[in-house]
Amino acid sequence: MTAHEARLCGLLLREHFGEVVEKIGTHLLRSGAQNLRTIVNESGTPIDLVKKSLCVLMKHGACIFSVGRKGPGSPVEYQASCERILGILRYPRYIYTAKTLYNDTGELIVEELLQRGHMTMSSIVKMVADRLTHNMEEGRSIEYKEVVSTFSKLVETHFLQRCPPVSEAVPAVSTAPTIPGAAAAPASTAPPTAESFPDCYTVPDVSLVGRGKRRRSGEDAVMDQGTTKKAKMDGQTHGDEGIYWQVNFERFHLHFRDQTIISAVASKLDQTSSEIVRTMLRMSEVTTTPSASCTQALSANEIFRSLPANYSISRPILDQYLSLLVDDPMEFVGKTGDSGGGMYVVNLHRALTNLARATLESVVQERFGSRSARIFRLLLRKRHLEQKQVEDFAMIPAKEAKDMLYTLLSENLVLLQEIPKTPDHAPSRTFYLYTVNQLSTARMLLQHCYKTVANLIDRRLFQTKESKRLLEKSQRIEAIMASLQASGAEPEQLTEVEEMISAPEKQQLESLRHHINKLDSAENQVDETIFLLKSYVNSTAKTTR
Amino acid sequence: MADVKVKKECDPADAALIENRIKELCQQFPQGITDQVIQNDMPHLEATQRAMVINKLLSLGQLDLLRNSSGLLYRMKDAQAASKMKGSDNQEKLVYQIIEDAGNKGIWTRDMRFKSNLPLTEVNKILKNLESKKLIKAVKSVAASKKKVYMLYNVQPDRSVTGGAWYSDQDFESEFVEVLNQQCFKFLQSKAEVARDSKQSPMIQRNSSFATSHEVWKYISELGISKVDLSMEDIETILNTLIYDGKVEMTIIAAKEGTVGSVDGQMKLFRGVNPVIQPTGLVKTPCGLCPVFDECHEGGEISPSRCIYMTEWLNF
Repeated sequence: MTAHEARLCGLLLREHFGEVVEKIGTHLLRSGAQNLRTIVNESGTPIDLVKKSLCVLMKHGACIFSVGRKGPGSPVEYQASCERILGILRYPRYIYTAKTLYNDTGELIVEELLQRGHMTMSSIVKMVADRLTHNMEEGRSIEYKEVVSTFSKLVETHFLQRCPPVSEAVPAVSTAPTIPGAAAAPASTAPPTAESFPDCYTVPDVSLVGRGKRRRSGEDAVMDQGTTKKAKMDGQTHGDEGIYWQVNFERFHLHFRDQTIISAVASKLDQTSSEIVRTMLRMSEVTTTPSASCTQALSANEIFRSLPANYSISRPILDQYLSLLVDDPMEFVGKTGDSGGGMYVVNLHRALTNLARATLESVVQERFGSRSARIFRLLLRKRHLEQKQVEDFAMIPAKEAKDMLYTLLSENLVLLQEIPKTPDHAPSRTFYLYTVNQLSTARMLLQHCYKTVANLIDRRLFQTKESKRLLEKSQRIEAIMASLQASGAEPEQLTEVEEMISAPEKQQLESLRHHINKLDSAENQVDETIFLLKSYVNSTAKTTR
Repeated sequence: MADVKVKKECDPADAALIENRIKELCQQFPQGITDQVIQNDMPHLEATQRAMVINKLLSLGQLDLLRNSSGLLYRMKDAQAASKMKGSDNQEKLVYQIIEDAGNKGIWTRDMRFKSNLPLTEVNKILKNLESKKLIKAVKSVAASKKKVYMLYNVQPDRSVTGGAWYSDQDFESEFVEVLNQQCFKFLQSKAEVARDSKQSPMIQRNSSFATSHEVWKYISELGISKVDLSMEDIETILNTLIYDGKVEMTIIAAKEGTVGSVDGQMKLFRGVNPVIQPTGLVKTPCGLCPVFDECHEGGEISPSRCIYMTEWLNF
């Protein structure tokens, strides 16, 4: 973990869980596995606050606990996971994906689960049904059954999974705030993954009958008492107590990866080719392991049968498209054999490598201009080149080429390799070769991305802080407006209240909203870059191991 | 050129005979003869005598002394060259010789000085002399603008010296290259568009979007943007820059011998392609392009909250 990652983790934790959790979280990130006593001492936070923060972190899978390293009986140690905390950045994208795949219901299910870490199925269904009903027109409501079916679909496609059960012998009962279904089993040293349990994708039989209840706007004030009462009322069992569900991030990431590849094919070749690749990816979704470097081989016959019906492609045309895809220098699709009309695979690792390379090129292009990008691409293609060769190949005047190369060198985007002819490294008898190391450059840009996101968040916080007074005022006025409206006030009264915000203030609020939106969308865009580079780095690590 | 220290009494008539014989031999073998050849031809001749005759011929400038892998080689000198050098002294001849050896690459005064073992002033004087006689010329090299190289007057300078079509007066014409680069791309792009609009099967669409380098060359020559005559290789270097720009792909196919534009039975095909991805998310933010990115820290002189680039971007 790097300093940039740690800073970003801190900011994300503060935004979502507040300052105490941030303190504990960053402390854990910095110091590695620690037991409760050490955390309390070193962070100087009261023990109950530490317990609560650990509880929050664990509920979201951002922290795991395991038996101490000193053997059985030693205090339980806690460890924060940087990866999961950075995943918070991607929450909007998970929710959006769920919405595009499974409509509003899917969106709300994933949103609730992300917000709460993990929940039982019955409580999710109830909550989502209530929220959906609340947004519907008066007099209509949604049946639990519908939500249950969407939920089952999400589980079927592995977007949701059961939390692995916690074994009975929990030695940490006295010291740790035990949460049922926390994402780790304390008995083993290595935390088991959810996938290792056989029934992690089986939906239990739930007896849920009824409809979503509407929450009246006037009820808001008494909501706190209402919930406890409701909890008692709903006290009947649904048959799924103790089975908690969580979002399967891995599955979402695979989906993102596939989408990235598909859209790249669409922009490089055409829509039809991308549809073929989409079909291939969908067919092999279940059979391919997440870490595979290419999908299972599919025969052209199978692909032909699985193409969406409304896509009228004849068999010879499909063959042509497939051979075009194989010929393409981006190597998205590879051919592995001739049986069954030709066996084809999607080269996941190659595709990621090529996309990552395109990303690096695009960074150089935007930052240093297209001529520097030409040099950069040239070096990527030809591996090692002398300065003179770079000038000749790229057709750039010596002076400019030198300038560009040195700029790229100082930004660590290209490397300089010395090959001395004699052992004394005399400059006149040494070859100086420029080269690009794609993996290390990608790693560096990844760190840049983390810093950029942290900067954007910083800026957003700053902008909000600057106009804190204004925001509070507008919130107050909105609240007054709402209550007036509810009590049936006259229109004059309403306009009078509305005018309490002056025109310039309104304008200021408008521009603030615009700024915040811009910063937010930028954060998401950078996260896409992060995702691509991270997938590339991970997949390279897997294949070279 | 070795000097003969020992001089022996020798019959002048005899010497002339040997001289003629050696000349004849040289004419027989225009690529040059070795000492061995002379020895075999005239076994009765003494080594000292042979040396004397050869030295005489050398000093007269009728014979050339060359060195190759097997040893020394004698060769008849061009009658023409010899006539040109009439009225020149030995030093001048020597310098001329060195320049001639350098061929179309030319030679630098410094290197000339080392090779001839003459002082710089002397070399300069000789060069001036030769230049005024229009025997040699000075050419400015593109590699280093201050460096002058000398070569024979009638020699066409090598591309490495002039830089080929892309240089005029030692300046790289980057604008010219850019214009050609754009024109080539336009040509390939329009070709790809026509192919895409043809609504034919995908394979035909792809194949008809390819253009051979000869086609591109013809298009560019007909456009008439270039004052100099560009060769097909010149156009291929331009097309290569387009490949490095990521805008063009190249494939090589086997072609029938004698097809227009084929080289060694191969044909290079180029086609314009679409970019794989849009500009990545990172560079859509000011931080992705920030020149002071590394100096930026929260609470520092440059910080995200006070960043002027960010302010400009937000107000845009």
